[in-house]
Amino acid sequence: MELLLQQIVNALSLGGIYAMLALGLAIVFSIVRLINFAHGELMTFGGYGIFLSMTFGFPPFAALVIGIGAALFMALAMERVTFRAMRGADVVSLLIASFAVSEILKVLFQNGISARPVPISFPSSWSGSYQIAGMTIGVVPTASILVTFASLGTLTFVLRRTAMGMAMRAAAEDFEMLRMLGVKANRVVAVSFAISGILAGIAAVIWTAQRGSVDPLMGFFPVLKAFISTVLGGLGSLGGAVLGGFVVGALEVLTQAFLPDRLAPYRDAIVLSAVIAALLIRPDGLLPAKTGARS
Amino acid sequence: MNAPSLNTHPTRLQAANGLRTVASLAVLLVTVAVLVWGFGRTGERIAVLMCVNVAAVVSLMVYCGNTGIVSFGHGAFMTVGAYLSGILTMPVGLQRSALPDLPGWLAGYELSVLMAMPFVALAGLAVALLTGSAIARLAGASATIATLGLLIIVHSVAVSAREITRGSQTFYGVPRVTDLLIVLIAALVFVLIARVYRESRWGLFARAVRDDKDAATVLGIAPSRARLIAWSLSGAMATVAGALYGHILGAFSPASFYLNLVFAQVVMMIVGGMASVGGAVVGVIAVTFMQNSVRNLEGGTTVLGFTLPEVFGLTTVALGLAILLVIWLRPQGIVGGFELGPGAGALLLRRVGRATRPADAPVPVGEMQLVAQGLSKNFAGVKAVDGVSFEVPTGRITGLIGPNGAGKSTLVNLMTRQYDADTGTARIGDIDLTYLPPHGVINRRVARSFQNLRLFSGLTAYENVLVAALAAGHTRAKAHAVTLRELAAFDLDDIADMRAENLPYGARKRLEIARALAQEPAILLLDEPAAGMNPAETDDLADRLETIGRDRNIGILLIDHDLKFVNRLSARIVVMNRGQKVAEGTPEKVRADVRVIEAYIGRGRTARVAGQN
Repeated sequence: MELLLQQIVNALSLGGIYAMLALGLAIVFSIVRLINFAHGELMTFGGYGIFLSMTFGFPPFAALVIGIGAALFMALAMERVTFRAMRGADVVSLLIASFAVSEILKVLFQNGISARPVPISFPSSWSGSYQIAGMTIGVVPTASILVTFASLGTLTFVLRRTAMGMAMRAAAEDFEMLRMLGVKANRVVAVSFAISGILAGIAAVIWTAQRGSVDPLMGFFPVLKAFISTVLGGLGSLGGAVLGGFVVGALEVLTQAFLPDRLAPYRDAIVLSAVIAALLIRPDGLLPAKTGARS
Repeated sequence: MNAPSLNTHPTRLQAANGLRTVASLAVLLVTVAVLVWGFGRTGERIAVLMCVNVAAVVSLMVYCGNTGIVSFGHGAFMTVGAYLSGILTMPVGLQRSALPDLPGWLAGYELSVLMAMPFVALAGLAVALLTGSAIARLAGASATIATLGLLIIVHSVAVSAREITRGSQTFYGVPRVTDLLIVLIAALVFVLIARVYRESRWGLFARAVRDDKDAATVLGIAPSRARLIAWSLSGAMATVAGALYGHILGAFSPASFYLNLVFAQVVMMIVGGMASVGGAVVGVIAVTFMQNSVRNLEGGTTVLGFTLPEVFGLTTVALGLAILLVIWLRPQGIVGGFELGPGAGALLLRRVGRATRPADAPVPVGEMQLVAQGLSKNFAGVKAVDGVSFEVPTGRITGLIGPNGAGKSTLVNLMTRQYDADTGTARIGDIDLTYLPPHGVINRRVARSFQNLRLFSGLTAYENVLVAALAAGHTRAKAHAVTLRELAAFDLDDIADMRAENLPYGARKRLEIARALAQEPAILLLDEPAAGMNPAETDDLADRLETIGRDRNIGILLIDHDLKFVNRLSARIVVMNRGQKVAEGTPEKVRADVRVIEAYIGRGRTARVAGQN
């Protein structure tokens, strides 16, 4: 029982990170048709933001805020410098361009900061645990679940209730039409990148709090999982991205917990194969995006 | 000089395709010659690696170029090829010390590199068929991410399966191949295979699916099957390329085939131009030269008195910038969207005189009819089509009219399986079309055109029709003859070698009908063929439809808003409004029907109009 509950906490905490990353990817994709391979570098940059601000003596909470700000800044810079000039290019070109941006940023991180992991030391109280009904639960996983759900809740509110949120949902269905209605395209796109940057920043905070270090590839691997999550959920569908993130997170935690030792190294392969098998049955994903295509 | 006759087009196309293959081969040969004779030993070393990259990138292009889907998964095939060939060719003694736990069925073969290749190719084909059953169902970005998933899966398996691969440690003892001649021959053969496939039946089908999946499906091409064939050939080729790469390295680890290699190869393909084999070759050459120039700077050097620092990964940055520049400035790549070399319309080929005889008109169709019965379709509560029944018999034109949103196009989409009907049947004889797969409708001899043009934009006008004729099951020679017949019937001689995306509007409309007719249907469903045409063009189209309908005795369902056009051609007219059939009969009867007038101009006006009569 205790094991099960702990695994549920782990699944939610890992799934939450994937869900936030996948949601950031999905928001940008649904509006500009960009699958942003450089999304992981937003997260990495957020991690380095935390590292540098702690090195310069900022208190831990301020460092976390600076980390999120760094990811936000990088997202906006990326949109302005690279992708704005390519608006309207086809999906493949945009994808390859973002792959190139990702590779360039990784080299910059390696040369500018360090190719090796740099440590981040948070106060020891953060890494503690507490007891509920005889069960030991970590502070960081709990906090990360709370933060994830708070972020997803806020974002849902913004998308459903604010004018900008509605403009963004409309843009996800028909961007051209929205422009003709007089909504400023650049602003909608910038806001979508900003949201994806903030979500990546929050993911960076949780990730670094759990691992205690940052390296140039920190964001890359979780974002690979987030890609898979968006496809599993249905590319371009925001709800699907969140669902896909939690499913992939849960699969990983479950395989970690219950796979025999001999098969443990094959965990990633098993999880990914399961996802691809799921696509055999539902090629458009679990919650497919709506399309207005007519013939 | 007169334009060459349409009937020489097949011969000119064949000649052009041959020349294009020669062009790609020649570019590669010349580059290798320059490297070897201009740069000595260093040049030869570069040439060896370049040839292997040509083999790998051409393999990649076989899938990506023909399906329009970028793959990151080919690193997986290269991993399989390198390790398998390494194990099969490793000297027995060395294998015992390097891989003591290797399963018995894999150990102790010590084949020559050449002998191992067939096994490597077969293994690649098996992996491709297995993975392709899932990946070929996906399109666009989802497919790309699935291929990325494949790369991660194979990489993590290679890292974990220590007894076979030594895990992330270096895998050594692979016999080295550094002979330029072997890799050059391999590269040339790969280019040849890719060229033959690209112009073959299945290459054309894959490109048709790339340009318009729905239109290809209607022609009887199953999209996932066309993609699976591209993926399988491409995967088997990439596996062999990976084996070659492994034999050049001699020692490698799973990381040698991971994202860095994949990124470099995708860059090569895009920089040159993804859509063509020549693009892949040119891209590899361009990037190879760039990499070798930049690599000299990587270790830190002095330029004009400035000492540049040592930058690890400078080649990666250069690759990244190269691809960004290409996408900004020349999204189609250096070579562009066309294959490298002359097209069928090139001046060079004007003198080719050998003509192909157009096919005779098909045997007139016998008596049969398409019977729709109670067809219905709801979209989120809106009854788009609501219990509609009517017949389309052969030998005459049946009109289908109704205001915008009446459900006419939806009805056609139900009959040709673009949508699933909620209820009802569409029968030809005993066969209910609504139970067929979407690409199976044409086997029952029902063809259609689309309301908004759906041509294969990357193919020439000629190839658009040729694809349809091939998809109908004709041999290549017959397909050419049929293509000539349909292009002539719609007066498309002059534009046969133009790409569909560059055609004027009227020609595109006619081309779409010609494409449907090349399949020799018994029933042809035309969704607004005259939309956007001027009166002269509409009259011309009406003449052509009349002739074709009479000569071939086919049944045509004609949807259009131009009532004069529909009245002139149709023996019977079906009228729809708000998803329901409101009237049916001869044009005169329908014109006088109050419900029809109501449907078009509303209830309030009806009384007045009726009063005036």
